[in-house]
Amino acid sequence: MPKPPTVHSEAPSTLAVVVSSNEPLLFLTEDLRVIAASASFCRAFEIDPAAVLDRHLGQLGAGEWAMPKLVSLLKATASGSARIEAYEIDLVRPDHKARQLVVNARTLDDGDADNIRLLVAITDVTDMRAEARLKDNLVRDKAMLLQEVQHRVANSLQIIASVLMQSARRVQSEEARGHLQNAHNRVMSIAALQRQLSTSSDGNVEVRSYFNQLCLSLGASMIADPERLSIEVTVDDSAVEADISVSLGLIVTELVINALKHAFPDERDGKILVDYRSSGDDWTLSVTDNGIGMPSGEDAPKAGLGSGIVEALAKNLLGEIAVSDAGPGTAVTISHKEDAAVQADLPSAA
Amino acid sequence: MNKGKAVVLVVEDSTIIRMGAVDLVLAAGYEALQARDADEAIAILESRGDVDLVFTDVQMPGTMDGIKLAHYIRDRWPPVRLIVASGAAIIEESSLPGGSSFFSKPYDDHAITDAMARLLAGDASAGSRV
Repeated sequence: MPKPPTVHSEAPSTLAVVVSSNEPLLFLTEDLRVIAASASFCRAFEIDPAAVLDRHLGQLGAGEWAMPKLVSLLKATASGSARIEAYEIDLVRPDHKARQLVVNARTLDDGDADNIRLLVAITDVTDMRAEARLKDNLVRDKAMLLQEVQHRVANSLQIIASVLMQSARRVQSEEARGHLQNAHNRVMSIAALQRQLSTSSDGNVEVRSYFNQLCLSLGASMIADPERLSIEVTVDDSAVEADISVSLGLIVTELVINALKHAFPDERDGKILVDYRSSGDDWTLSVTDNGIGMPSGEDAPKAGLGSGIVEALAKNLLGEIAVSDAGPGTAVTISHKEDAAVQADLPSAA
Repeated sequence: MNKGKAVVLVVEDSTIIRMGAVDLVLAAGYEALQARDADEAIAILESRGDVDLVFTDVQMPGTMDGIKLAHYIRDRWPPVRLIVASGAAIIEESSLPGGSSFFSKPYDDHAITDAMARLLAGDASAGSRV
């Protein structure tokens, strides 16, 4: 280590600490001459380490460090009238893009009040800032893209719903109209889920608000007289994954359509209750009506598409279907017990 | 109002959705007019003074989206009732003129005709439901 040509000499250990600093560091005299510069400083700012000692700050490199603002701030720091904390400055060099620097400077406090020296730490934050900016832009782009996709999905579902309703209004056959309206209801069921998902931050769906919206939509399209028929939703605070919720929603759609179609003939009053609750991985979904009850024997209706959908989805969710007499009316319950699912050695529905 | 029938102007850029909306307006017993964007809608409103209700989409090409159109109509033709539908699940209610109804897409035809009936009957409480 060459001896600094100042009247005061520094301990070799002090100089060694400065030179080996990971963070670009300058050790300066009161009049801004270099006592030591860290190897990291010379490397980062392309300055010859052999040509730094005893040079004035403004003579380093091609003179790019002779920034009047920086010099005046460092002088003020040396005189004790200011302290540089995270001062931001642009370093402009010929043939280089400007670099954004954060400068921290303070006087060295080693008890030698007559010998003022400055420790100047210089951090190049250009890449970090650019990265942060890029990340911000990506996040913003992603949010915009997601919103655009959601708009497109909603519009596509609207096209399907519009076509189905136009067909339903045109067909002559009551039966065909019923099928088209059911198809429309199934589309709306998936749309209700899509709406829930678009406001969900973690991809999980709150079952209560989903079922509420779903049943509101089913009621609006299928119940002509809300005084006569109503749908009530009772759900705990469960939230489920999107894949599972789409199945649950379609099951509710089919069971509610079925009850509205068959349980209340001849202008009968009534209520349908949709209930869902879960405990750990176990859950129970039930749709109960207080209508005329299920006809049996010869009068039992043939299983339609609706019951096929319910059976297939319940099986897929590893749920057991039970149909019981609700006296009056019918209760359809689908329950999933994690233990039973594991015993059956089937892949998990999740 | 035209020959006792309320007149509803549908503003929607998607052809199939516009057809469906016109169909639901006719099925509800109203007279239906249609426009593909805000400029066409304004031209229709300027040319005939009998439009009772405008049912508009939000995302449309052209100089104005449905929200701007709704404000423009409220300003220039205050008695005209407004129903706004959007692919966005939620729209800030404050971004729509007071008294207008908002529906997210896909909307249920019955919910729209119910809102039309309430708005045309002059029931202000029909406003701002999802």
